[in-house]
Amino acid sequence: MQPPVENYANPNTCLFHVLFKGAALAFYILSALFFNSFVIIFVVTVLLAALDFWVVKNVSGRILVGLRWWNEINDLGESVWKFESLDQESLARMNKKDSWLFWWTLYLAAAAWLILGVFSLIRFQADYLLVVGVCLSLNAANIIGFTKCKKDAKKQFQQFASQTIASRFQSTVQSAFTLV
Amino acid sequence: MSHNDTIPLYQSSQSDIDEIENMMNAGFQSGPGTVLPARPPSPIRPSIPVSSSPFVQSNLPPLPPSSSSAAQKATPVPAPPSLPPAVNFGSSEGSKTTGFGSPPNTLTEPVWDTVKRDLSRIVSNLKLVVFPNPNREDPGKALRDWDLWGPFFFIVFLGLTLSWSASVKKSEVFAVAFALLAAGAVILTLNVLLLGGHIIFFQSLSLLGYCLFPLDVGAVICMLKDNVILKMIVVAVTLAWSSWAAYPFMSAAVNPRRKALALYPVFLMYVSVGFLIIAID
Repeated sequence: MQPPVENYANPNTCLFHVLFKGAALAFYILSALFFNSFVIIFVVTVLLAALDFWVVKNVSGRILVGLRWWNEINDLGESVWKFESLDQESLARMNKKDSWLFWWTLYLAAAAWLILGVFSLIRFQADYLLVVGVCLSLNAANIIGFTKCKKDAKKQFQQFASQTIASRFQSTVQSAFTLV
Repeated sequence: MSHNDTIPLYQSSQSDIDEIENMMNAGFQSGPGTVLPARPPSPIRPSIPVSSSPFVQSNLPPLPPSSSSAAQKATPVPAPPSLPPAVNFGSSEGSKTTGFGSPPNTLTEPVWDTVKRDLSRIVSNLKLVVFPNPNREDPGKALRDWDLWGPFFFIVFLGLTLSWSASVKKSEVFAVAFALLAAGAVILTLNVLLLGGHIIFFQSLSLLGYCLFPLDVGAVICMLKDNVILKMIVVAVTLAWSSWAAYPFMSAAVNPRRKALALYPVFLMYVSVGFLIIAID
């Protein structure tokens, strides 16, 4: 008997994660059929893309994959990128379907905007290229931020693991010496 | 973008309700003549235990984003989409905190907290940059918490206002205004950096965006009243206000001998936006 397929652990979050991305893409593609005004297309698409950026960065990143990134300026006036992640056991317990959805929709949306950008380039539509450029940069920022955050989390875990092994080794050696 | 307030671990308020109930019961039993004891201090909410998760890196520094990439929020916009799910997230977050071992602060806060934090950051950044306040004496510190949501909203708003005031070629006006302001902010930042100034790229973008607020106000006034003389006066006043707002930050960033080189292009950009506002009819 097959084990039951793991379901999405956070269906609401997944929905919102996909909703704004899809809405921005759909609106951009379909709006040419309905609206004549470039201004409305621009404002609504960019607004949806900005909302999507915020949702991914602050909500679905946290809930679906347990990662978060942001930028701070320290006392010396330098900009520092900060990454935050849940500890390893929580990360391991994350729903696989959730994280699969998270990463793949991120990549697919960026690829879709890239293709739309190529189309508008071919048609020499500079203003639509502007819209695509803005949406693409928002998506790219999220992808880069989360990828860096994931790598950082892995690095942290490896450091922690090696530290634990080193300290355990040390304590074993010490106890061995005390016994002797 | 920074998270400079320690947010306590989200817990159900059951403990508070119990406390209040106990207080009420004690009050009823102690009779009308006695004075109710002062509210006992609320139980110490467990702070995040540091030991078990060494790579909880969010040691919240004692600084005042954004950031953030940043971000910005048109005030009516975040409320509709995030209000219904905020309730769900809030409750689901509450139940989830018990599931995770020792979650870091900002990773498990309810969504509504994040929204409120971002909104208040926009407002405080605006007040810092555009209105007179003592923090302007130390410009480097003032916009530590940069965020791009405010500038985004102001640029779009200015573009929309200009586009609305224009009787012809509305789309072109909007596109030109948006591209001019966005590209202008980037180029001005690069100018400061190339002059050997010390400013963070996003901090400067954020600053230049926030300084557009007076011009936004001016554009709205010019849209409502179509008198040329009034427009010129309003634009002149708001232009001066914008330049005054941007001055300390830009001048502090560069070598004193190169102050004029850094400030002149900023002034030029605001003048050109001012002309755009006057010329649109």
